[in-house]
Amino acid sequence: MSNELTWKGYAVHDTAKWEDFKLIDIKPKPRGEYDVDIKIEYCGVCGSDVHTITGGWGPPHLPVIVGHEIAGTAAWVGPKVTGIKVGDRVGVGAQICSCLECKMCKTNNEQYCQKHVTFTYNSVYPESGTITTGGYSSAIRSHERFVFPIPDALELEHAAPMLCGGVTVYSPLVRNGAGPGKRVGVVGIGGLGHFAIQFAKGLGCEEVVAFSHSSRKKEDAIKLGATQFVETGKKGFEEALHASLDLIICTANVAPGIAMSELLSTLAPGGKFVMVAIPEEQVPIPSRDLVVRGISFGGSLLGSKKEALEMLQLAAAKGIKPWIEIMPMKDCGKAVRAVKDGNVRYRHVLKQDIPR
Amino acid sequence: MSSASTQTDTQWKGYAVHDTEHWDQLKLIDFQPKKFGDYDIDVKIEYCGVCGSDVHTVTGGWGKPLLPVIPGHEITGRVIRVGPKVTEFKVGDRAGVGAQVCSCFECTLCKTDNENYCPSSVDTYNAKYPNGDMAYGGYSTAIRAHERFVFPIPQELALEQASPMLCAGLTVYSPLVRNGAGPGKKVGVVGIGGLGHFAIQFAKALGAEVVAFSHSPNKEKDAYELGADKFVLTNDKAFSKDYQGKLDIIICTTDVSKGIPLGDLLSTLTIAGRLIMVALPDDDLPAIKSMQMAKNAALFGGSHIGSKKEALAMLDLAVKKGVKSHIEILSMKEAGKALRNVKENNIRYRHVLKMDI
Repeated sequence: MSNELTWKGYAVHDTAKWEDFKLIDIKPKPRGEYDVDIKIEYCGVCGSDVHTITGGWGPPHLPVIVGHEIAGTAAWVGPKVTGIKVGDRVGVGAQICSCLECKMCKTNNEQYCQKHVTFTYNSVYPESGTITTGGYSSAIRSHERFVFPIPDALELEHAAPMLCGGVTVYSPLVRNGAGPGKRVGVVGIGGLGHFAIQFAKGLGCEEVVAFSHSSRKKEDAIKLGATQFVETGKKGFEEALHASLDLIICTANVAPGIAMSELLSTLAPGGKFVMVAIPEEQVPIPSRDLVVRGISFGGSLLGSKKEALEMLQLAAAKGIKPWIEIMPMKDCGKAVRAVKDGNVRYRHVLKQDIPR
Repeated sequence: MSSASTQTDTQWKGYAVHDTEHWDQLKLIDFQPKKFGDYDIDVKIEYCGVCGSDVHTVTGGWGKPLLPVIPGHEITGRVIRVGPKVTEFKVGDRAGVGAQVCSCFECTLCKTDNENYCPSSVDTYNAKYPNGDMAYGGYSTAIRAHERFVFPIPQELALEQASPMLCAGLTVYSPLVRNGAGPGKKVGVVGIGGLGHFAIQFAKALGAEVVAFSHSPNKEKDAYELGADKFVLTNDKAFSKDYQGKLDIIICTTDVSKGIPLGDLLSTLTIAGRLIMVALPDDDLPAIKSMQMAKNAALFGGSHIGSKKEALAMLDLAVKKGVKSHIEILSMKEAGKALRNVKENNIRYRHVLKMDI
């Protein structure tokens, strides 16, 4: 297999025209001893991509190449890389660098690095000042710490969305004790939510309650493995679940429309409500509910490599797959539009099609 | 008091607020306690602590109270009557009542030592029992409560010392133990007042290291005397710099929205560390960007008083480790003065009213 990789990607040049992608050349950071060059085969389309290119999360560095659910094959490995060899099936998620020296990095908490977290796109490598570019492209270069070997039992197109969408819900599930005997709620049945239901079930949770604001996702929720489906648009939805859940993973934007107090009332004392969505607006903290119920409210960011690998093993063992629609990478404009409109069941995956 | 009293002997009188405009003017009234039940206990009150909740209630800060209201939920005294099904107490025992007097007893929460979270919970005052009887608080001669909500007071603890522990103490003790405060843990306490002065002592008693946060430089000396390992002045914009990711638990006894930047406090927590609010703020906290919580997967929680099981463990620990309530005793008729002092933050750290009716 040729070592000569093409380095081109589909970029947005103007947040006012965020569906217009143009193919441009990429100049990756200089090769380092621990780096891996990956020929991209697939890239999942994440809500983050949309938040970024529309300017919803603030003005991006333009032109911006997004995409952080990347799967492909290793085309080159640096001299100090030990876990990966050329030809291996590998993936990259939403983080591409950290200091690797602080207490967080050394305790499998690299996503919480105290010095710097560099994201896979629209972010800066602190040493070189290089702006990172993402997976709507032909290739990516990453430090091996952020490159995940993919089990043979998983197809690349199924593994790709797990590398952000999957690990983002898997990490708070395991860190907050999801497993046998536990009762977990999932708010929002979309890209992240559909993973959360499957992983909660895969981890052995006794109850997996899917919350959605409308009934149209009920059938899917049950197929995905939910033990109950609750429509939050209905008055009194929370009553039967009073103080019964240990953990709620919230993948939806709670600011508008979701009755927060009612949702929180389903948590037992000591229960936790973990937000994994990063809405553009601020989230009000329901302090009164927290005090009166003895519960807590938190956030979570991505996951560690250790968690990503465990998650992939669990997915392989339990046959967990995302529900995807594959599109040629040149149709990324259509894909992001569909995500923005909430029109995907449940992940678009772009197949790399960039000519040499 | 050596002999049992019958209902006809006990005088039920208390100092009541009649008007939230004149919240520091209390008038002595007669009142009817709830009907005596099989599990009920009558306690002749000797002391009652003055809690911030009393002020929030009588001023209408937490909404219009049921008037006239007799506040007070840090009550100690002696048992003068026990119902036929009471097993834990006999007449003459030293007993206390905190901020809760009833729950449903049947739900999962009640059955798992979480009665403080029962949805049918009845507060000690400004509340009604399910049958419509009013609950009146401890600025009075006596209180009647179900045995589940009456706590035996150890002989080694003076009643006036135990009183403030029954709300303020328990309110910080419960989240400390539920969140693992102990040897090897670093606990932050925000706010050095009625609750805060207990939080420092109980955290130390449990074996944790304590960092006290305050916006008043004049609390530094007290903080160290109470046992804090470090004192941090939060007025300094960079106050959290040396504590990034260091604390396991923060007990916040103040209204965080006023003057203490929540983001900075959260940044002092270790991965999955918790900030537990025990103060019930009047307003909502300011909204934050959810990314602030995602930076270290910190949790922001709340806690509401504690269970009887925790109350008893707390009193034992207080005796074992010499936890002291820092109190100033006033005659119960000076309740108005006490409330004013609490409202104006003019008390180090608890007023305890001595029954004088």
